[in-house]
Amino acid sequence: MTVLPSTRTNYPRRTPPRLDSLWADPVVAPIERVGAHVGGLGDPGTLLLSGPAPSPGGEGLVSHLSRWGTVPGIDGAGVRALLRASALDGRGGGGFPLIRKVETALLGGGLPMLIVNASESEPSSRKDRVLCAHRPHLMLDGAALLATALGVDEVVIHLHRASGSPASILEAAISDRRHRGLADPRWRISTGPDRYVSGEASAVAGFVDGGQARPRFTTLPLAVEGPSGRPTVVSNAETVAHLAAIARVGPDAWGSLGASSSPGSRLVTLTGAVPQPGTVLELAGQATIGDALAYQGLTDPPAAVLIGGFAGTWVLGEEAWQTPFTRAALQCLGAQPGCGLIAVLPHGACALTETARIVRYLAGESAGQCGTCVAGLPRLADSCEAIARGSFRRRGIRKMTALADAVLGSGACGHPDAVVRLIRSTLDVFEDDVVRHLAGKPCRASDHPPVLAVPRADHAIGRGDTREWE
Amino acid sequence: MSVEIRIDPILCRGHAICALFFSDGVDLDQWGFGKVAVAVVDAPRDIRRARRAAAACPNGAFIVRERSQDLANAPARPHPESSQPVA
Repeated sequence: MTVLPSTRTNYPRRTPPRLDSLWADPVVAPIERVGAHVGGLGDPGTLLLSGPAPSPGGEGLVSHLSRWGTVPGIDGAGVRALLRASALDGRGGGGFPLIRKVETALLGGGLPMLIVNASESEPSSRKDRVLCAHRPHLMLDGAALLATALGVDEVVIHLHRASGSPASILEAAISDRRHRGLADPRWRISTGPDRYVSGEASAVAGFVDGGQARPRFTTLPLAVEGPSGRPTVVSNAETVAHLAAIARVGPDAWGSLGASSSPGSRLVTLTGAVPQPGTVLELAGQATIGDALAYQGLTDPPAAVLIGGFAGTWVLGEEAWQTPFTRAALQCLGAQPGCGLIAVLPHGACALTETARIVRYLAGESAGQCGTCVAGLPRLADSCEAIARGSFRRRGIRKMTALADAVLGSGACGHPDAVVRLIRSTLDVFEDDVVRHLAGKPCRASDHPPVLAVPRADHAIGRGDTREWE
Repeated sequence: MSVEIRIDPILCRGHAICALFFSDGVDLDQWGFGKVAVAVVDAPRDIRRARRAAAACPNGAFIVRERSQDLANAPARPHPESSQPVA
């Protein structure tokens, strides 16, 4: 953020947008559409979502085995070799290499614990739900392989309780596998609270251990010592499904589905101003964000896209359109794949209003544990709303950025940092809009209704019933 | 010898007593919640201060740990191929 120029305004002061329109819930995203792969280089038969069209119970075991064959009999060292050769990175948001979690967990004493995180807390993301609901056996195959790599005989699959959770589909799939006599580990399905931070790895591990689904302060990585005292590996559902594919087609063929710097295909969810929000696509090769949006019928770059989730990074549409959705390419734009969410902001909508709505929601989703997060996030949300309304003074921006600096790195988990990242990216990418709003010039989008499906922020920070975390 | 200091943000209640004893090592925000400014301390005088701050924290949020216990200084990893999972 550079110093904002003083602006003499000849415009009439803009009328503040109606708050009811600012906070009205937009159309709730329809859920669970499986899209085809986009821009594939390799054999389309080995993408996670290739195969039969979506059906209510997901792909059955017979169809799954006829397409993929049984899981090859590999020992733990063999699975670890596959993980190393493929450089499979985590698809939950952090992008941490899975092999490093596995190796770390094996170094420590004690039996490791394996949790597959399919909770998908990001409100608009649908990829893990779609994967578990339509390709349950691929995910379970991968989880069984990861259990072999860790030498454990039990796998916990963690989901949220929300409606639309694929728990019943997974239970049916597990029962089919048992009847078929597959050599599986013991499965345990865990369902937890539907809160944003409850999908964070330490919150998941703590909940599975019998505690509350709130993030923990840890001085050691979970893979060294989890809440139970055992080394704990928490891995995203899409990540383990990729492992099932790697074991069948080999690391090289799997890697060639992606770009050289970012092996393998990647699931993304489209939301915002697209014809069918909630569509899940699998991007392969150098498929760009434009390719994904073109699949939804968009022909021109939108005003901007928010990449990687609510706590992600804004990128102007023109820049994003030509950018492949790979870690390396996104890094050039200062963005990360995160949970694979692509939220589309149309021309004529106000990015500052959307950001204000997201920040208010995220402030309400604090677990209420760390002081700076509890005290700081609502203040940041106030500032973002004031900017959106046009009632903020230029001096306030400096205070706001100082507050953001104080909030950064203050929490036990990454939640406050994520809010700061979103705010910084907003001030950076939409600097012109911020200047206009501060100068009281009419927002180019004052009458546009809200675009992103942000849940209503109705949680009082830190005052929530503690039972809601159990 | 060096120690590593951390503040557990969940336990911290903003008493700011750590900053009385070890002002160089702790950044306070506007509410008095502390953030660690220097994570690794090696001057003996600063180590003494850090230990006093840890002892004075009413919530036990100020953590001082010997670095030798740290993972970073742990013996080199065995080659992954040789490490067998515990059955």
